[in-house]
Amino acid sequence: MSKDKAINFIAFARCIKIGFIAICAALMAFPFAWMVLSSLKTKAELMSGGWLPSDPQWLNYLEAIRSPLLRNIGNSLAISAASTAYQLVSGAMLAYALAYMSFKGKGLIFALIMGSCMAPSAATYIPSYIILSKMKLLDSYTGLVVSSLVSVFGIFLLRQAFMQVPPSLIEAARLDSASHWRTLWKVVYPVAKPSFAAFVLINAIASYNSYMWPSLVTNSPDLYMVSQGLRHFFIEGGAYGTNWPLVMAGSAIVVLPLLAVFALLQKWFVSGLSGSAGLKG
Amino acid sequence: MHYMTPEYKMVGFKNYAKLLASRDFSQALSNTLVFCVFSAVFSIALGLGMALLLEKKFKGKSFFSGLVFSPWITPTVAVSLVWMWIYDADHGMANAVLHLFSLPGLKWVGSSKTAMLSVIIVTVWKSIGYNAILYLAALEKVPRSLYEAASLDRASKWGTFLRVTLPGISPTTFFLAVISTINGLQAYDQIQVLTQGGPAGSTRTLLYLYYQLGFQQYKMGQAASAAVVLMLAIAVLSALQWALSKRAVSYR
Repeated sequence: MSKDKAINFIAFARCIKIGFIAICAALMAFPFAWMVLSSLKTKAELMSGGWLPSDPQWLNYLEAIRSPLLRNIGNSLAISAASTAYQLVSGAMLAYALAYMSFKGKGLIFALIMGSCMAPSAATYIPSYIILSKMKLLDSYTGLVVSSLVSVFGIFLLRQAFMQVPPSLIEAARLDSASHWRTLWKVVYPVAKPSFAAFVLINAIASYNSYMWPSLVTNSPDLYMVSQGLRHFFIEGGAYGTNWPLVMAGSAIVVLPLLAVFALLQKWFVSGLSGSAGLKG
Repeated sequence: MHYMTPEYKMVGFKNYAKLLASRDFSQALSNTLVFCVFSAVFSIALGLGMALLLEKKFKGKSFFSGLVFSPWITPTVAVSLVWMWIYDADHGMANAVLHLFSLPGLKWVGSSKTAMLSVIIVTVWKSIGYNAILYLAALEKVPRSLYEAASLDRASKWGTFLRVTLPGISPTTFFLAVISTINGLQAYDQIQVLTQGGPAGSTRTLLYLYYQLGFQQYKMGQAASAAVVLMLAIAVLSALQWALSKRAVSYR
């Protein structure tokens, strides 16, 4: 009998705990829910309070899509894809050299990479700006991509992963007289795949969401990335008081696909992030 | 934009002197300190709390951890806009909640008294998930044998937490403290959307001062000096992390 009671008590405690977790999760997710709910209301309804929209205003989304927002999303996707792809190839090659080859000045190169990994990126904005302007690449797609061709964080992440690859595999590839390029993609890549996945996810998202640097080097609205586009969208309505339903619809169009991607790839994110702890500094 | 010319003249430490003597700089310095300390402490403590809740296996665990983590992957500008609306003084959700407890509404981002608080809340909300994920990984690595030993000693739950769990995850705590501070020193997006450093400079951090000096007032020299101060702060923190992480590793 007492055993049953104990089990009941444990079950009860579990219920309380799960309820508590649910409340915490709801608090965390609340801004997203509020964003979607607000996006479906009329402006008047928004001001009068209340939770649910009485008559969902799907047209808000249509109106938000008709703005340049879709173009901004396209810009962000293209720039993020191009720079992440380049970062991946250049990062893998550098990490390969650092992990498996011995050459003069290797220690110095590694120290330089570590050093710039720690430097705040904002501190590089003035010199980077001057360089871009000398290359006549301000306010251009090329400039946006060129300024993020290398990810020092990524080099470090991959180097750490490459160090874990069994040396016998590299030895075997060398005995088969495979080229370095072949060794990298046929031998090292399959073993270090999770780190490559973490690399792509973290860098692609960071680049997609980036705001400060793109807004410093671009001027024409045609080149705006998502974050700039949203901010612009928000200011535009400012003169007549912010059109919150529209701004919320715009935010939802940007945020919801990202949440969907995250839901699909959650496992990779989590393993990638846990693996990156102690790396990024 | 032609505010940077190839000609220059050396001015020695004039830019630094001007910057360090300005009232804006000392205000920005203390704002940065407040912002970094409070956002780091709360995001780490709440992240640990979430991780402890999510530690045990239960149905829907990955769904819940996904919810907690989701703010981290979304663009700061987009979620800051959502918070702008939540903070709206007349019709926003934040004041509606305060009224529910019959508390007077706040002006949130509109007043220099509460603007920093508003920015910190958004920053903490956005980073709890990341901290929780790292803590979850760290909690798994605390040796089970230590917990068994503690339960043999009939240690209380709280005692076990203090003597086994906390020391076991201390490398992660330290890592997160440094990372959060570095991120805090570099925070821009949420400040730009929510307050633009205002009202009355109450949310102008060192980085935001750097942005305003360099890219709004075109005082590139002083802006670069601010960037150097920022870099020094981060270099010191990174060196500290480097030294202590080496020590933490040698314990094992």
